[in-house]
Amino acid sequence: MSILEFARGPAFQVALVVFVFGVCWRLAGVFLMVRRFDRSKPRRHALVAGGLRAIVMRSLPPHELEKKIVFQHVSGYAWHLAFFVSLLFFAPHLPFFKQFLGFGWPTLPNTVALLSGAVALAILLALLWRRATRPVMRQISTLDDYLSVIVVILPLATGFMTYARVLPFGVRYENMLGVHLLSICLLLVWFPFGKLMHLFLAFPARFQAGALLKRKGVEA
Amino acid sequence: MSATTAQFDWLRTTLSALGRRVGLSTNTDQERLDKARAVMLGELDASHAAYLETCIHCGMCADACHFYLGTNEAKYTPIWKVEPLKKVYQRELGPLRLLQRAVVPDITLAELEAWQPLVFDACTECGRCDLMCPMGIQISPMIGIMRRALAAADLLPAELAGAADEQKQLGSVLGAGKAELLALVTDLERAAIPVPVDLPAAEIVLLTSALDVKAYPDSLRATARILNKLKLSWTLLSHSVELLGTGESLKELHVRRIIDETVRRGAKTLLLPECGHAYPALRFDSAHLIGEALPFTVYSIAEFVGREIQDGRLKVKPEAGGGAVTYHDPCKLGRHGGVFEEPRAAIRALGLELREMESHGRTNYCCGGGGGQFMIGRAAPLRQRAFEIKMREVDDTGAPKVLTACNSCRLNYQNGAAEANWHTSVESLVEHVAAHLAD
Repeated sequence: MSILEFARGPAFQVALVVFVFGVCWRLAGVFLMVRRFDRSKPRRHALVAGGLRAIVMRSLPPHELEKKIVFQHVSGYAWHLAFFVSLLFFAPHLPFFKQFLGFGWPTLPNTVALLSGAVALAILLALLWRRATRPVMRQISTLDDYLSVIVVILPLATGFMTYARVLPFGVRYENMLGVHLLSICLLLVWFPFGKLMHLFLAFPARFQAGALLKRKGVEA
Repeated sequence: MSATTAQFDWLRTTLSALGRRVGLSTNTDQERLDKARAVMLGELDASHAAYLETCIHCGMCADACHFYLGTNEAKYTPIWKVEPLKKVYQRELGPLRLLQRAVVPDITLAELEAWQPLVFDACTECGRCDLMCPMGIQISPMIGIMRRALAAADLLPAELAGAADEQKQLGSVLGAGKAELLALVTDLERAAIPVPVDLPAAEIVLLTSALDVKAYPDSLRATARILNKLKLSWTLLSHSVELLGTGESLKELHVRRIIDETVRRGAKTLLLPECGHAYPALRFDSAHLIGEALPFTVYSIAEFVGREIQDGRLKVKPEAGGGAVTYHDPCKLGRHGGVFEEPRAAIRALGLELREMESHGRTNYCCGGGGGQFMIGRAAPLRQRAFEIKMREVDDTGAPKVLTACNSCRLNYQNGAAEANWHTSVESLVEHVAAHLAD
C-alpha cells in the first residue's frame, strides 16, 4: 500500500471516526452538564433574539473596544475567511468533496484560491509569532495553542508544496499528495482535543452570553 | 456634596481596624484547598463549561481591562485570573478530564494564594472583558466563583474578611448598624424629613447602605425627600444596611431576610440605595437563591427616580445655570443591570448638558474600586492606575462635574481625585434631583 493509498483509505477513515466521535463526545460533555436557569424577571424579553444577535455582533466588537485590538480582530476573521476559501473553492479539492459528499460546487480560479491560502498561511505565521513574543499571549498560551497552529499550518504548507511540485528529498508527487492528505488526517484527529473545537463551541457560547445579557437589558 | 477628607479618614480608620479583626486560618492547608475546590465544583455548570472550552487564548480581554491597560502587566489579563478554576474544570468536570489529568497539574494552596491579589486587588468584576471576548465568554461571573473559592480557603484579603466577620458577629458593616441608622433617621426627622422605619405594611420597602449611613447621609435624605414628595407608601428597613458578596452563605442569609421582610409587608417594590453591588445581587441573583422569580420588583433609586420622571409623576425644575456634566455608569447598574436610560432621563430633566465619556453605557470603564476593591489597602496604587484612565475620559468631555448613582463609585472617585489632586466634582444624581423638586 502506497502512502497515498494509506492516506486516502484507512488513515482517513480512522481520522474521520476520531473526529466525529471526539467532537460529539466533547459537545455532549459540555452541553449535558447541569445548567442553572436564571429565574429572575428579565428586564427585556426576546432572549433568543438576543442570543442570535450576539452570534452576529460578537464579530464586531464595540468601537470603543475595537480600536485596541485592530490587528487581532481583523487578522482573526481574515484568517478564517482565507482558509475556508482555499479549502472549499480550490479546484483540485473538489473531486475529493464530490467523492465524499456526492455533490460539488463552483470553484474559484486557482490563482485566487492559492492567494487565499497564502494569506491564511501568512496570517497564521504572524499570529504564531505574536503568540510567542507578546507578554499577554505568552502568559495565557498553552501547548494546545502552539500545536493547533502547527496542525493547521501543515495542510496549508504541504498543499502548496504538492500543487507547486516542490518535492523535497526526491519524494514522488503521489507520495507528497499522500503526505498532504495525512496532514489533513492529523488535523481531523487533533481537532476534538484542542482549541479548534471553537468552530463548534463559539456560536453556542456567544448565544448564551447574548441571551444572558439581553435578560439584563444589555446588548451583547 | 463635595469631597471631604472626613470620609476618607473614616474609611481608612475603619478598614485598618477591619484588617485586624481576623486571625489566621484554623483549617489545615488540605482542608482549605478542598473547600476551594468544592466551591468551584459546586458552582461550575454547563454555561461555564461552554465558556472555558471555547477560549482560544486570543488575549483580547486584556485590552478591555482597566488594570491591564493601566499597567501593561500581562498577569492582569482577565482570563488568566480564572486559571485555577479552569484547571479544576479540566481535571474534574470537562469531557476530556481523563486525558487532562495527565497534563494539567492540580491546583495548590500556594497557587490560590498567588491568585488572591489577581482576583481581589486587580479585578472589580466590572464585566468590561465580558463585552470584548469574541467568543462571548463571560469572565466576570467566573471571577466571582474564584473569589468565593478563595474565601472558602480563608484567602479573603484582611479588610474583606474583617468586614464579613463584623457583619457576622456584630450585624453591622463598616461600623454602620441599626443604631447608627436610627440615629441618622432621627437627624432627618429633626430636619422635618419623615422617614418611616420598619412599618408593618408598605408598598415600597427601602434599603440603605453602610456608605449612606457613615459617609453620605445626604443620599438617604434625598431619597426620603423624593419618596415623600411622591406621597408614596414606603418604609425603610432598618435591620440590613448592606450585602457583602464575599461570603456566599452570609449573603444568602441576608438576601433571604430582605426578601422575607419585603414580602411580609406586602410591598410591590424593593428600592435599593445608590449602591452598585446590591443591585445585581437582588435584582437578578436572588431569584437563583430562592429558586423562583421575586414576588416584587427591584429598582435602584436612580432607576426609580428616572422612571418616575419619564412617566411624568415626578416633576423637577431645571438647575439654575444649567451647565455641563458627564455621567458615570456604575458597572453593577449598567453592564450588570441594564440601567442606562433612566439616569440620563433625570439628567436631561434637570436641564443639564450631558457630555458622554468616550466609553459610556455598556462600555463604561469602572471607577477602579468596585467589587470591594476600594476596601483593600494594599491595592491603592493599582486602583489609582485604573482611575487615571477614568480621569482622562472625564477630562476629555470638558465637563466640570461627574454625576453617578453609586456611592462606592463616588467614594472611589473622590479618593482617587484627592490622590491625583484632580478637581472635578463628583456628585450624586439622586441628590441633584432631590435638590430640584418642583413645587
